[in-house]
Amino acid sequence: MKGDGKSIPVDKEILTPISSSEEGQQQPVQANDSVISARHLTKKFGDETAVDDVSFEVPRASIFGFIGPSGSGKTTTVRLLTGVYVPTNGEVVVFDRNPAKLSRRERVGLGYMPQLFVLYTNLTVWENLNFAASLYGMSLFRRKKMKEALKFVELYEHRSKLARNISGGMLRRLSLASTLVHDPQLLFLDEPTAGIDPVLRHKFWDHFRELKDQGRTIFITTQYVSEADNCDLVGVQNNGKLLLVDSPRGVRHHAYGGDMIDFHTTQPFDFKAEGLLRSLPFVKAKTIRTSPNGMRIIVDNGSTATPELMGWAQQQNIEVKSVEEYTPSFEDVFVELVRPEVRNG
Amino acid sequence: MGNFFRGIIRASSFFRKEIFEILRQPRLVATLVLGPFLILFIFGIGYRAQSSTVRTLFVAQSNSPILAKDIQQFGQSMDLMLNYVGVTDNLSQALNQLQHGQVDLVIVEPVDATTTIKNNQQAVFILYHHEIDPTKVSYINYLGWLYAGVVNQQVLRSFAVQGQADAVNLHTSLQDAHQNVSAMRQALQTGDFALAQQKQQGLVTNVDAISQAVGISLGLLDGLQQTNGTSGGSSDPVKSTLTDLSQNTNQLGDSTVSMDARLARLDKVDKDLTDLDTMLAEFQSISPDIIVTPFISETKSIANVQPSILDFFALAVLALLLQHLGVTFAALSIVRERNVGAMELFRVSPLSAAEALLGKYISYMMFGGVIAAILSALLVFVLHVPMLGNWLYFTLVIVAVLFTSLGIGFTISIVSQTDSQAVQYSMIVLLASVFFSGFILSLDTLLKPVRIISWMLPTTYGTLLLRDISLRGITPNWVLLGGLIGIGLVLMLISWRLMRRLIASSQ
Repeated sequence: MKGDGKSIPVDKEILTPISSSEEGQQQPVQANDSVISARHLTKKFGDETAVDDVSFEVPRASIFGFIGPSGSGKTTTVRLLTGVYVPTNGEVVVFDRNPAKLSRRERVGLGYMPQLFVLYTNLTVWENLNFAASLYGMSLFRRKKMKEALKFVELYEHRSKLARNISGGMLRRLSLASTLVHDPQLLFLDEPTAGIDPVLRHKFWDHFRELKDQGRTIFITTQYVSEADNCDLVGVQNNGKLLLVDSPRGVRHHAYGGDMIDFHTTQPFDFKAEGLLRSLPFVKAKTIRTSPNGMRIIVDNGSTATPELMGWAQQQNIEVKSVEEYTPSFEDVFVELVRPEVRNG
Repeated sequence: MGNFFRGIIRASSFFRKEIFEILRQPRLVATLVLGPFLILFIFGIGYRAQSSTVRTLFVAQSNSPILAKDIQQFGQSMDLMLNYVGVTDNLSQALNQLQHGQVDLVIVEPVDATTTIKNNQQAVFILYHHEIDPTKVSYINYLGWLYAGVVNQQVLRSFAVQGQADAVNLHTSLQDAHQNVSAMRQALQTGDFALAQQKQQGLVTNVDAISQAVGISLGLLDGLQQTNGTSGGSSDPVKSTLTDLSQNTNQLGDSTVSMDARLARLDKVDKDLTDLDTMLAEFQSISPDIIVTPFISETKSIANVQPSILDFFALAVLALLLQHLGVTFAALSIVRERNVGAMELFRVSPLSAAEALLGKYISYMMFGGVIAAILSALLVFVLHVPMLGNWLYFTLVIVAVLFTSLGIGFTISIVSQTDSQAVQYSMIVLLASVFFSGFILSLDTLLKPVRIISWMLPTTYGTLLLRDISLRGITPNWVLLGGLIGIGLVLMLISWRLMRRLIASSQ
């Protein structure tokens, strides 16, 4: 199953996008079971609009990735969702309630990792984690969970170090462990992988997917747009506006106006063949010559276009070397999406 | 697990956190304990329980009735307070020395004191100084008053000495009078009335001389007796004795009365003369210094101990330190959480304002309590500050001072936007405490409306209560203690309301 290539309108029901893991496994996300619902959310600070009429829904047991350039309003959105900020316009519903009005029992189910380290530099790693665990009323028999959390973020060996004596990346990891230690149902993670090495980032995402499989819902912002591939749904935000929400594949489709196929022949393309290729009905106008023998073409639907493309080549006596779907990196996708905004802005 | 226990766990998170953060700053803890102790220790060693001597230059005109040697004597008689520099007749030169700090005080003797006094006016010593410290100015005024007293005493003393010298002549007149009385009695008994008449005339002459001479000498003693209330109800016993003596002596010449009556009158005259003689002997036996300063004062306290200045201030320092510690720690506590962004975390978490405050209150109370215990032990066992009262009451007051101070600090912390603001507010509280809590100036020196500020400060209560317990050994004034705890409870309520708003409020 693949995305429909359209951004999700605010008041429309979320379609059923897929989550695509790096291993290519796809698991359906249930629709109509939203844990978070944002409608026409707007936040202004004086004359400046930080978040502009943003609407989306986050299904239960999903990973919702929020990507956008620095200053695009990601952190403000997270703060609106957690009830730290009151929206200027619009409304947020978390667990069917205004997040600022959640009961204490409901708050126990939340986990929030702010963008900056807000724990205490004069305490050790273990003491900070202990503080966070106590804050959520974890029982006195919490040592095992604390140990697991620290081992997960690879800080257990550093548990006796003062927070002021560890690196920025370690502080992020401690922050993440503090957010996860009480095993919350809904996680708000504001750039949890910033400053983390790629190997550990990979491990983090594996864990997030495990949490999702256990039924947890994760709302995550990231400055590494490539990480969007790990999400079930991706929201792309720029200048406070939400450009679209879709599955990672749907976002790609939207960015380029269709699926991308790399078409390689044994002989170099001539102008005539290229012209004929462009005139095919399922081929979008935009084609890119990647080599003398290769063309990258954009089609409405990659899976149906491939056999049709093979048939056309046979008719034209063109010997095909390979036809394969091309998956652009999310960095490219992001640039493609944001570029028109930048031009217009 | 119930909500109550979860709440306790959440409160404990703050308790542990604050304690650990404090223990990570051993220098801070050492400073808090050793700082005040060393200050008090050095103060105890360095404090001089006497006023400083004032370098004094006297100005007297060459024709002054008060001689330079007398001035030196006056000055040196006050050597604990006044350092005699010298005497000059040049006022402008003396003032120039004062201007340049070579002397601290210039005392100008009155130019023509005798004429001024004869004109029924008091002669004035003028004191010039260059002080700006109001306390020292008061001291100089007091010094001037004392100096005038010393000079006046010397004048009175010279009168007393003169009186005692005159009393020698008076004694001779009294002996002559006694001899004339004896001779007259003998003449009357032998019927030699002419000789009796002659001796009576001699006696009249003696009594007139005694009446004139007795004024200066026995008059002083008589004045003393009247002041002291020992004259037996008679307003002027010397004068009345002299009057009786004079009347009886004159009536001895009356030959119309019987012999027995004349002899009885003669006995009365003899007795009056003996009384005067006795009074004269008493007067001569008293030192002139006692005559001019017959009264001095001596103070005795009914308290069990007489505290030193160090003892008195040590308890005020303890109260002030605990207040400052509580206010400062609490003031920085919440504003710091806000500045690092922890409030954002707290808002999302199930933490309540009461849990956060409870944890912080307990941790700081415990920390302040330990500091107070160490300092109190040092004061009592090292500096030997008396501890006459009950340690339980002492502890109760310490806890109340800490509790109320924390309330002030938390209120400051919640209304402050930055660390600097919180520190500034804490310093204002400290400054107010120095001036209004009775730490330096007694509360009595303040106008009643101003004392409202005093009664808002934990140090005021702490100082009074700790002194009562330690130095008087009495139970604390429960109204004061109740007032202190009451203020603490009100502040805790205010802090809780503000903290609730801070955690709950969204931007």
